[in-house]
Amino acid sequence: MATKSRRRLMSSIVRYMILTGWAIIAFFPIYWMVSTSFKPDIQWFAWPPVYFPDPPTLTNYMNVWLGSEQYDTTQYAISSQTPLVSLWNSTVIAFTSTFLAVSFGSVLAYGVSRYRILSEARMFQLLMLRMIPPIVIVAPLSLYYSALGLLDTRIGLIMVYFLTTLPYAVWMTKSFIDEVPREVEQAAEILGASRWRTVFEIVLPLIRSGLVATFLFILILTWSEYLLALIITKTQVSTLPIELSKYQGSTEGRVYGRQAALAVGITIPLMVIGLIIRKHLARGFSFGMVRR
Amino acid sequence: MAVDAIPAGRVQLPSQARSQSRRLAVRRFKLTLLLPLIALFLFLLTPVLLLQLYFSVHQWTVYLSSWWDADFVGLDLFQEVLTDPRFGWAVVRSLAFATTSTLGCFVFGFLLAYLMYKPFRGQAVYYIIFILPMLTVPVVVAYTAEMLLYQSGPINDLISRIIGVDFKPAWLTNPHIALATVALLEIWNWTPFSFIILLAGLAAIPKEPIEAAEILGASKWRIFWEVQLPLLRPVILLALVLRFLEAMAEFPKTWALFQGGPGSATETLPVYIFMTTWQYFQISKGAAMSYIVMLMMIVIVLIAIHLLRREKRSLDQMYALRAKDAEG
Repeated sequence: MATKSRRRLMSSIVRYMILTGWAIIAFFPIYWMVSTSFKPDIQWFAWPPVYFPDPPTLTNYMNVWLGSEQYDTTQYAISSQTPLVSLWNSTVIAFTSTFLAVSFGSVLAYGVSRYRILSEARMFQLLMLRMIPPIVIVAPLSLYYSALGLLDTRIGLIMVYFLTTLPYAVWMTKSFIDEVPREVEQAAEILGASRWRTVFEIVLPLIRSGLVATFLFILILTWSEYLLALIITKTQVSTLPIELSKYQGSTEGRVYGRQAALAVGITIPLMVIGLIIRKHLARGFSFGMVRR
Repeated sequence: MAVDAIPAGRVQLPSQARSQSRRLAVRRFKLTLLLPLIALFLFLLTPVLLLQLYFSVHQWTVYLSSWWDADFVGLDLFQEVLTDPRFGWAVVRSLAFATTSTLGCFVFGFLLAYLMYKPFRGQAVYYIIFILPMLTVPVVVAYTAEMLLYQSGPINDLISRIIGVDFKPAWLTNPHIALATVALLEIWNWTPFSFIILLAGLAAIPKEPIEAAEILGASKWRIFWEVQLPLLRPVILLALVLRFLEAMAEFPKTWALFQGGPGSATETLPVYIFMTTWQYFQISKGAAMSYIVMLMMIVIVLIAIHLLRREKRSLDQMYALRAKDAEG
């Protein structure tokens, strides 16, 4: 028996070693981004690489987010728009499009779940909106938008995000609605509730937590979207991921510290949201097909 | 038809007229539910697809004036794209990139999920760390990679210190490994996706067959190959198919890091379409190319959907069984 317990100990050690190894791989780039954001400029690109900012400084954050510090602005002249404006754009666009997607998506999902307004085949065809690379429609989309005057506006981007995240919203909320027993609705109907009341006052409140999870999940997607934002927004309205790439185009080339300070600001909300709904991520990414 | 959906209604149908008005009401309700979707298709998607068709058969660039004056050229543009060797290479690169990164994500994701599906001390902490890469904005991944991967950068420095030999691949400037660099980033970024899906799948496997096999004296290896793996098939296919499709569309990392370079080493399909349209301003060629890629992707997606439908059914069956078990 001693050998067996020793073997179990060995396998446990091996398991911890592999897992810790991957944890380091997964975490190191994130650590590097955070630590670079606290480094003074001579350490961004130093040889040998500086692993711990020495001394840590808030200059990067002050410069990027507040634009308060003057001493570098000519050296690292970046863009006309301040990140705070982009932050506001990103917030408005992500929240509005996500709200639209989840509200229309959940009602649609209710119809699919209870009235079969879309057959199974149609539901899978809906997934095509997501599965076909968006790059194939961006050129005509931007021409169409410029004809409508929607290019470089928040509404324009909100509409596209609404369309591209709708499949996730429908599929994910449907997986929650499917778990609600029909007896509840039948009881409501017998008591004389109208169809709309049944949807809004019985079914949707019952899947409240599912709706919140769906909302936050889609927020992750819209918050980090890059390609569509790159093409549809030009100068008036830019989102945070686009703002980040502006730091690349500057003549100085490597303004790592500033970039990292901005990147940390973009990533933190995303990680917080992701960790809140960590139990639902599998369901979200698999269109509700895998549940926990 | 519609009445089947609401069995409760069937109990109280006194007259023909009432049942008919009810059916009408249900139909109106269903139509209202569908309206937003129909509106989106009519006003957003259809015009865009029609415009794309227009541009792919008319020669137009932004240097010309109004786009409705463009010359009709029939299928010339399609021919131009199909005989363009750069396009062919872009297809090859995209497929190679998507295949390697999908397999990479799968292998690492599976290993981690297999090591983690049974509870152990520290499981929650590992889970949180493992999903962090997925919660990083793709563009941020690209720029952080640039901070890490330059030739005398921290990654090469750390690896050199660990193995004790000077290790200095030029991740970002060597055209032979640039695409592999993006694939590695994609694997780092999206292994969590495969991991969480496979973990959820492993955790959902019913215990009975495994216990039965253990009682019968099957080795761990055999249980894995002959019991767990077949039961996992739907989840595995899901992880592979969805990841492959996303990898075919990968743009932010490739573009932010390389813009198609060095040379044309990272010119995948999305990047080449983007360059044709927004850098060379060959809108029409870009549209024709988009059309071809769209058709190609529709074929791939239809195959994917065919696979997913089958697997979804077996997954739904499994969850239904589990729900029944929980009740009984």
